[in-house]
Amino acid sequence: MFKYQFDWSVVLSGQYAEWLLSGIKVTFQLSVVSIIFSFLLGLLIAVMRMSNVRPVRWFAHGYLEFFRNTPLLVQIFFWYFGSYKILPMVINDWLNRTNFEFAAAVIALTIYTSAFIAEDIRSGVRSIPKEQMEAARSSGFSYIRSMQYIILPQAVRITVPPLINQFLNLTKNSSLAMTIGVMELTYQARQVESYTFKGFEAFTAATLVYVVISMIIAGLMTLYSRKVLNPIRAK
Amino acid sequence: MKRAVVLMAAFCFIVAMGGIAFAADTLETAKKKGVLVAGVKDSTPGFGYVDEKTREIVGYDVDFVKAIAKKLGVKLELKPVTSASRMPQLVEGNIDIIAATMTKTAERAKQIDFSNTYFFTGQKFIVKKGTVRSLADLDGKRIGTAKGSTSEQNAKKALPKATILSFDDYPQALLALQQGKVFAVTTDESILANLLGKAPNKEQYEIPDIQISDEPYGLGMRKGDKNFVAFVNKTLLEMEKSGEAKRIFDKWFGPNSQTPLKRNFKITADK
Repeated sequence: MFKYQFDWSVVLSGQYAEWLLSGIKVTFQLSVVSIIFSFLLGLLIAVMRMSNVRPVRWFAHGYLEFFRNTPLLVQIFFWYFGSYKILPMVINDWLNRTNFEFAAAVIALTIYTSAFIAEDIRSGVRSIPKEQMEAARSSGFSYIRSMQYIILPQAVRITVPPLINQFLNLTKNSSLAMTIGVMELTYQARQVESYTFKGFEAFTAATLVYVVISMIIAGLMTLYSRKVLNPIRAK
Repeated sequence: MKRAVVLMAAFCFIVAMGGIAFAADTLETAKKKGVLVAGVKDSTPGFGYVDEKTREIVGYDVDFVKAIAKKLGVKLELKPVTSASRMPQLVEGNIDIIAATMTKTAERAKQIDFSNTYFFTGQKFIVKKGTVRSLADLDGKRIGTAKGSTSEQNAKKALPKATILSFDDYPQALLALQQGKVFAVTTDESILANLLGKAPNKEQYEIPDIQISDEPYGLGMRKGDKNFVAFVNKTLLEMEKSGEAKRIFDKWFGPNSQTPLKRNFKITADK
C-alpha cells in the first residue's frame, strides 16, 4: 500500500544537506532571539497591563487585543513591506542594506508572541495572593520594586509550563518567515524539493528537526525551572 | 469486532477505488466526468491572472487549456497553483493538466510528461533604469524571484555571488524591488514585461537586454498518460495550423496589447 520509496541520500549529503543545515541554523537563531525578546517584552506588557495608571493600562490592553487577534502572516508582511510607507527614506535605505528580512521576522514573532506571554504572566501574577503586594507596599517597596522582587519571581515560576507552550509555538511559527525570503528550515526544505523533487525526504527531515529543536527548548526550560527556580522556592 | 471488519473493508475499498481512478487514462476519466481540471497561475499577468472586472482567471495559459477542453468536449475547471505546488498537485491527481508558465526541463521531465512547446521566452531582469549594463553589474547583489521556479535555479547558476531571495510570488518580488529591498527581479521576460506593464511608476524601471537562459513552456501531464499527451500535442499543432495559437498570442502579447512581445516561435512537434 505504501508505494513511495524513500531515498535519503539526497538530504543527507552534498549541497542539499548543507542547505538544510544552514536552514536549521537560521531557524534556531530566529527562535532563540525571538524567544528572549518576546519574554522581556511580554513581561513589560504584563506589568503595564496591571498598572494603576490608567493610560498605561489601556495602552497595554489595546496592544494585547490588537496583536493577539491579527494573523501572524499579516503582521510579518506588515513589518516587512508596510513599514516602508511609514518610515523615513534614510531609515529604509539603511534597513535595506542590512538583513532586514531576518529583522522583520524577529520583530513580528516577538510582538505577536509577547502578547500571549503577557497574558500568561498576568494569570501567573493573579495567582499570587494580593496580600503579598499589600505587604510589600506597606513595607515601603514601590510598585515596580514589589513586582520585581516579590511578585514576578513567583509568578514566572508558576508560568513556566504555559511559557514553554508559547516558546514552542514561536519556534514553529518561525517557518512563516520564509514568505519574506528568510532562508530558514522550511524555506530550505522547499528549495531542496524544487531542485530534487524529493519533497517527502526533505520535509520529513525538516519535521524531525522541528521536533528536536522543540524538545531541546522544552527540555532546557524544564531543567532550568527544576534546578534554578524551584530550589529557591523550597527554601 | 464486526464493525471493525466492515470499516476495514470499506477503507480498503476506498483505497482501491482511489488506485483505479489514479491509474486510469486522463482522456477517459475527463470524458466520463465531463470535466477537465487545469492548474493555472492566478497572479501572473498575461498568462493566468484574475480579471478585475469579471473576477475570473484569464490569460494565455487559460486560453490554451480552454481550447483543449473544448476539443475534448468537456467543461473546464481552473485551479490556482503556484510554481512550487503545481507538480505535486498534478502527481496527486488534484489537477489533470498544468498550464502555469512552466519551463520544460530534463529534471522535471523525469516526474511528468510535457506537451510540445506552446510558448518560448528567456530569463531576464527588471532593474532601476540605468543601473545595469552587463551581467557583472548584477553579481553580488540581492536578486528577487519566486519560490520553486527555474528562475531561482538559473539565477544561482548565472550569478553565483548574488543573494537570491525567493518570495511566494512575483508581485511580492516586484514590491520588494520598488521598495529597494532587492536590486533586481528575475524571471522569464514575458512575465517581467507584464509585471512591469501593471506596475506604478514603471518609467523608472527597465528590462536590459541580458538573457541568462532559454525558457520553452510546456503543458504538464502525468507521466505515462500517453493518450492524453498525444491528444494535447495534436490539438496544439492544429491550433498552430488554424492560426488560433497566433490569435491567442496576439490577444495577450500582440502589438496592441499592454505588453507587446515578438512571437519568435511556432508550435511544432518535439523531436
